[in-house]
Amino acid sequence: MKFGKRLQQQIEETLPGWRDKFLSYKRLKKLVNLISSSPPPSHRHCVEAEADFVYLLNHEIDKFNAFFMEKEEDFIIKRKELQQRLQRVIDTWGPNGARPSETNCKEDMAEIRKDIVNFHGEMVLLVNYSNINYTGLAKILKKYDKRTGGLLRLLFIQKVLKQPFFTTEVVSKLIKECESTIAQVFPVDEKEIGRREPTIRVTGEGVFRNTVAALLTMQEIRSGSSTRSQFSLPPLDLTDSEFIRTLQMNSPPIPIPIL
Amino acid sequence: MILSMFPNSFIQGSGIRYKAAELFGRVSVAISSSFPVLSTSLEENYSKLSNSFQVSAEREPMSNPQQISASSSRFPDNIHFSSVSPHERYSQNSPFISQSLRDEARLRSTHFSPSEGQATPLINHPEENKDNSWCIDPLQDFLDFPENDPGQTGLLESNTGDIASDDRAKRIEWWADQLISVEDGPEPNWSEVLADANVTDARQKVLKPSTDIPTQHPQVHPQGQQHQPVSNEEFHAVANPLSMTPANKSRMRWTPELHEAFVEAVNRLGGGERATPKGVLKLMNVENLTIYHVKSHLQKYRTARHRPESSEGTSEKKSNPTEDMKSLDTKTTMSITEALRLQMEVQKRLHEQLEIQRNLQLRIEEQGRYLQMMFEQRKQMENEKSKASSSSLENPSAPLFESKQHSSPNETSMATELDVAKTGADTSHVISAPEDSSASLNQKQKAPETKTGEEVDPDDDESGHKPMKRARSEATAFSPKSALGNTL
Repeated sequence: MKFGKRLQQQIEETLPGWRDKFLSYKRLKKLVNLISSSPPPSHRHCVEAEADFVYLLNHEIDKFNAFFMEKEEDFIIKRKELQQRLQRVIDTWGPNGARPSETNCKEDMAEIRKDIVNFHGEMVLLVNYSNINYTGLAKILKKYDKRTGGLLRLLFIQKVLKQPFFTTEVVSKLIKECESTIAQVFPVDEKEIGRREPTIRVTGEGVFRNTVAALLTMQEIRSGSSTRSQFSLPPLDLTDSEFIRTLQMNSPPIPIPIL
Repeated sequence: MILSMFPNSFIQGSGIRYKAAELFGRVSVAISSSFPVLSTSLEENYSKLSNSFQVSAEREPMSNPQQISASSSRFPDNIHFSSVSPHERYSQNSPFISQSLRDEARLRSTHFSPSEGQATPLINHPEENKDNSWCIDPLQDFLDFPENDPGQTGLLESNTGDIASDDRAKRIEWWADQLISVEDGPEPNWSEVLADANVTDARQKVLKPSTDIPTQHPQVHPQGQQHQPVSNEEFHAVANPLSMTPANKSRMRWTPELHEAFVEAVNRLGGGERATPKGVLKLMNVENLTIYHVKSHLQKYRTARHRPESSEGTSEKKSNPTEDMKSLDTKTTMSITEALRLQMEVQKRLHEQLEIQRNLQLRIEEQGRYLQMMFEQRKQMENEKSKASSSSLENPSAPLFESKQHSSPNETSMATELDVAKTGADTSHVISAPEDSSASLNQKQKAPETKTGEEVDPDDDESGHKPMKRARSEATAFSPKSALGNTL
């Protein structure tokens, strides 16, 4: 149930439009419990529940694929837009820094920087979405195999690995591209680096909050498991970024019941 | 007769959970008359198919199109009948699937059937059989898709214009063939046959329900079908982003390159406002791109241009500008740039971790698959060995002796290779990969509390002794007596 709770947290912390797009882990788990609890004599119920399970799995995968591909398309369009916008701003006001005194220039640059950073964040959140759903699927399949002695997991996972929602190469590429754009677009300010607050509270409901939440959740999910096996992920290592652990989450927005 | 053979095989294999296999749908029954344990055959088929997928993928589409119309008339009744009953049964007895999904399924079935073109007479419940291809034959699918070239798609599309219905037709076709001419179907088709046999025979209670439900999978359809080929194609051939698409509303996976072509076409036609979907489609001249794809993409494009800040269409985007500015509640004032920098850093970190995690996951699965295949090979050899020993002929045993000799070096060599890999000798890519992940996993398991920054580090010399232990445990796991579920 630990993963279930973490997933729930993640869902609550995520962007509102995404909340119903995550894995229905609880439902799947209920089915697995039902499958394993009905003994072979009541074969009919067992078989039905199993069929429901597979049905639901496939339904979930379709859900992921549809959502993911739509978002991916949006990102591709948006990236082009941002590029063009950036170009326009640069052209209007000269290369960055050439006319720094122009407040309009500064405003525009600040605006576009912020947009690029948020764009980056949203893409990363999509990758996170993909990953957490995959993790959930892997876990529930493992549970299924364990409870029923079946062989569903290995084969099903092979299928999942090829799904659009898991093949996140394009989005990752866009993310990296974004990072290099930002490196060019941000002014270099040596003084500001190194100054850190002991605790930074993240409030509100923006992309930043969501990425922080995602990171913390990931850390928790991977911090240890009672059923560690060769299929388990090692604990997350974030020691070289101490400041991330100093980030605290404020009380979340009002949770919307999902499942 | 094939149908009657199935119950026997399942009864024989009762010690193993056949249900998983049949649920998964890739139950391939070995052609040999003595049905081996079903899970073994499942895996055999897997490895066989993966070795010979070239052949099978090519064979299937070729044989079908000509015969679709010929045999279609024989089956609609059967299919209709059997597919109705589980449908009803499910709506009554399965509370787990919400009624809305069911309703949607029914709606979708009716929605799609008229639009299937020539394939309509074949199928009364297109969704169910279509979904066969999704969840019943995933291996079939992902074998099919990468192998599909325009030549083949052309052939398929010329018949129905809908690959989904082609798959359905294929399956029904083969099922028909099997019923009429009993044994000699090509081997890879058996999984399809079984799947269809499951679907259509109401008496096969053991087999049917589990494979039926997946077939009633409504909204999969064209989306489910199309996702795989599109994504494979997208990555492999930018110039041809879609390998197979129906004429209807399937989802298209857009790439940056495709979008570039789109933008160029739009600009040539006078900009976002003036360009028409038809014009853009023509100008882009991309195979298998439909006007629906262009239309929806154009709509998104226009929205993005009009309101650059909220192009995502989600409301949270609007809250972002102000929210993120105020989202850092710190004691000292930070400049906005600093705040953005911090945000970037967090995001980058998250992305980094996600990538690492994903790579780990891939390797874990690779390792699992590798182990499974080794196990299956081992079992197969033992099966052959036991068969040969029971035969009285001398000839079979001689070549078998050879294979046996091969098998034991194989098994021990795997263990030794795992050992060797730790010293850096890279015997094969596959072997070194599991070695690496197992090494790092061992490390992590030993030291979960101390996050010492050891990520997946294949060249870490400290892990020398641990892979040895791991290799030993894996080697012992391959002993013939171990249960199937043990290693995995």
